[in-house]
Amino acid sequence: MRREKTDIRRKRMAWRLWNIWNGKKKRALVLSIAALALCSMVTGCGAKEESSDSIVCYVGHGFWDGSLDPVKGGFAYGYDFISNGLVRVNAQSEYEGDLAESWEISEDALTYTYKLKQGIRFQDGSDFTAKDVVFTYETVMANQGQNEKVDLSKLEKAEALDEYTVQFTLKEHFSPFLDTTAQLGIVPSGGYDSAAFDQKPVGTGPWKVVQYDMEQQLIVEANEDYFEGKPEIKRVTFVDMDNEAAFSNARSGQLDVVMVQPSYAAETIKGMHMEKLETMDVRNISLPCRKPGKIQNSAGEEISVGNPVTSDLAVRKALSLGIDRQEVIENAFNGVGRPAEGWTDNLIWGNTKEYQDAQTEEAKKILEEGGWKDKDGDGIREKGKIPCAFEVYAPSDEPDRYLLAAAAEENVKKLGISIEVKQTTWDEIAVKSYTQGAVWGFGQYSPMVLDNQFQSGHFAEQTYSNPSGYQNETVDSLIGEAIAANSQEDAVAAWKEIQDVYAEDYPYLYLVNIEHCYFISDRLDISKDTQIPHPHGHGIPIICNMKDWKIKE
Amino acid sequence: MNHKILQKKNGTAGPESGRPFSRKGESEVFWNRRRKTLFVLGAAVTYLTVVLLAGLFLSPECYEIDYSAKFTAPCLKHPFGTDYMGRDMFFRSVKGLSNSIGVGILASAVSSVIALILGVAAALTGGAVDRFVNWCVDLCMGIPHLILLILLSFMMGKGQKGVLFAVALTHWPELTRLVRAEVLQVRSARYVQASYRMGKTRLQIAREHMLPQVLPVYLIGVVLLFPHAIMHEAAITFLGFGFPAEVPAIGVILSESMNYITTGKWWMAVFPGLMLLAAVMLFDAAGENLKRLLNPNSGNEA
Repeated sequence: MRREKTDIRRKRMAWRLWNIWNGKKKRALVLSIAALALCSMVTGCGAKEESSDSIVCYVGHGFWDGSLDPVKGGFAYGYDFISNGLVRVNAQSEYEGDLAESWEISEDALTYTYKLKQGIRFQDGSDFTAKDVVFTYETVMANQGQNEKVDLSKLEKAEALDEYTVQFTLKEHFSPFLDTTAQLGIVPSGGYDSAAFDQKPVGTGPWKVVQYDMEQQLIVEANEDYFEGKPEIKRVTFVDMDNEAAFSNARSGQLDVVMVQPSYAAETIKGMHMEKLETMDVRNISLPCRKPGKIQNSAGEEISVGNPVTSDLAVRKALSLGIDRQEVIENAFNGVGRPAEGWTDNLIWGNTKEYQDAQTEEAKKILEEGGWKDKDGDGIREKGKIPCAFEVYAPSDEPDRYLLAAAAEENVKKLGISIEVKQTTWDEIAVKSYTQGAVWGFGQYSPMVLDNQFQSGHFAEQTYSNPSGYQNETVDSLIGEAIAANSQEDAVAAWKEIQDVYAEDYPYLYLVNIEHCYFISDRLDISKDTQIPHPHGHGIPIICNMKDWKIKE
Repeated sequence: MNHKILQKKNGTAGPESGRPFSRKGESEVFWNRRRKTLFVLGAAVTYLTVVLLAGLFLSPECYEIDYSAKFTAPCLKHPFGTDYMGRDMFFRSVKGLSNSIGVGILASAVSSVIALILGVAAALTGGAVDRFVNWCVDLCMGIPHLILLILLSFMMGKGQKGVLFAVALTHWPELTRLVRAEVLQVRSARYVQASYRMGKTRLQIAREHMLPQVLPVYLIGVVLLFPHAIMHEAAITFLGFGFPAEVPAIGVILSESMNYITTGKWWMAVFPGLMLLAAVMLFDAAGENLKRLLNPNSGNEA
């Protein structure tokens, strides 16, 4: 009986719905759905409607493809965004206090003491104290495996001396530690939640995360209580798409900032202008310095290394002196970027002895003297039976590096050196670079990049480290000296000397100091004066000073 | 009225000219299916041979890098325009299509041999072998083709070797089924049974009775397989699992052109795309026509 009733009720309900659909109410329903759709469309576009306090940006594809948690390496760039580090780098590439007021390094360079700024609050309202700093550093030390960006393996312990003083004790000398403290953003000890912070980290920074959809978008809002004053722009949406899609979107007026490859720099977009921003990012080609042979690494693997052509200093020198860098840049990058023969001088430790390039005759003379002569008249020199030819590998996910290598190939043909450019995956490049050239990009504040690229012990041990297989005892011992230095000045002096020493060996063919290209909406002022020289990062560093950006009336 | 117009159009033709048929009728006769088929086949073979040979003997200088001619729109000197390194797109496309055709030929050859052997073996031996072959066919057809291609190419280390293996080893299942069905049909025919009774060996029967019957279907299958192979080569190269970027291949050219299409460099995508389309369509048309010509059963279908 009961069952029958519910059955009847159900049928009646269905009948009523059917009537609504078929009857007069149908029109109303359809209309209301249409109105709803229209509404959502309007608000959808409204995100970028010429609103005076929000912007939409594209700063590179696939950049936020992981955790945003500073403990797991999120935003380890050394500039303020969601969180702040203890120190940061300013527009003159010098370190200045961020959350720290001042810092002191002990005589033996093993203890670093930071005095913290007072009265700073986290975005969740809790006070920032020494406890939070200790908590952050200890959490990273305990979970170092999750964080490949900030290496705290040299840190013995972090302790709070009082509420606003933190002391770090190192296991051994490590002069670049200051830079490490710039990379690690501080999280609140009370509110830290490892899972939640992947999506919505809380920091002291000028921006609060509103929403984060991995590989889709990141929406941030201004932190009204930011200790250096609230940002002018209220809301910023970062979208993730292909470079080409971003360009089309910019054309149809949907983006305020769009990063583009240099090959797009000559294009024009209505209502936007092109900005080329200074970087410390250089591109070079590694030239294997060792004679062909086999070596065994510490893991017991036997590896074929070396190249019969590039192991000859004459060839490496001729390449560096003979190539016309400006022409290469014109051809590969539409003239965007500056010729580079080493590290940039916007780095405090940068020390590049500049020389005249495009010396075709001089380069030919060096090759002749080195025994490389073109006997069979095919335009490529030989020494004995070995032709003066080698391969250069470029990653297939970065067309710009391929363009650069291809332009270099064209450029050195006149010297009688043949380069064959190939594209492949990073995994294969790691192996091929033992015996052939590869295109690399480097740009960071920390001088540890010199250790990475020139310390002979790294060759064939760490992936992508010292790909040229450079081996020089003086350089090795100077690197040790620089790392162990007691003061910043001594360290910088040693880092500079290293560059003088290896300069004569030309282990890498430095080509270009790239510039990051963006189309910026004419209504937006990105405060070029406070932009720091961009480190490596495919376009994302433009946000380093986003708190100073303004929307013009 | 209508008749008059027809007369006018056809000029001299008419009953008074003494010929029983009008010109129109004659032209209908001239373009009969046989001639049309031969013409399409001829066109397809000519196009492909010319492109293949041109590609093989083309000097790399023709598509050399020339930075002074970057992004030239189509003109007399560069009929298909130039790309971001100033390379001539016409010669690059020819070379690329030639590479694709080479892969296509190899793939069809390998796949068709596999299909012939498996198909005939399955149909003649029956039993476990038949079940095994059918199982293999189902297995391969059960996986989406493109995925299978990518898997195989990836397994072989991508690049030239990967694409050759992948395309050559994945195009046999359909043809195997076809050959097997055909052989099964012939096997049960009276004259074949009679041959058995007369003591001919299986191999003899396969050679003398089966092959001549199966060959037409098989040949058509091979021809129809060809455009698939070319398309698949281009597809996996486009997706980055095939030829590396330094080899001029249609897939590489098309995927590169995608980087510049938003800036209005339409010629980099349109012309190579058309060349590929022409090759595939010509071969498809040739295969279809050949089917009507060689396979008597399909003669009345159209």
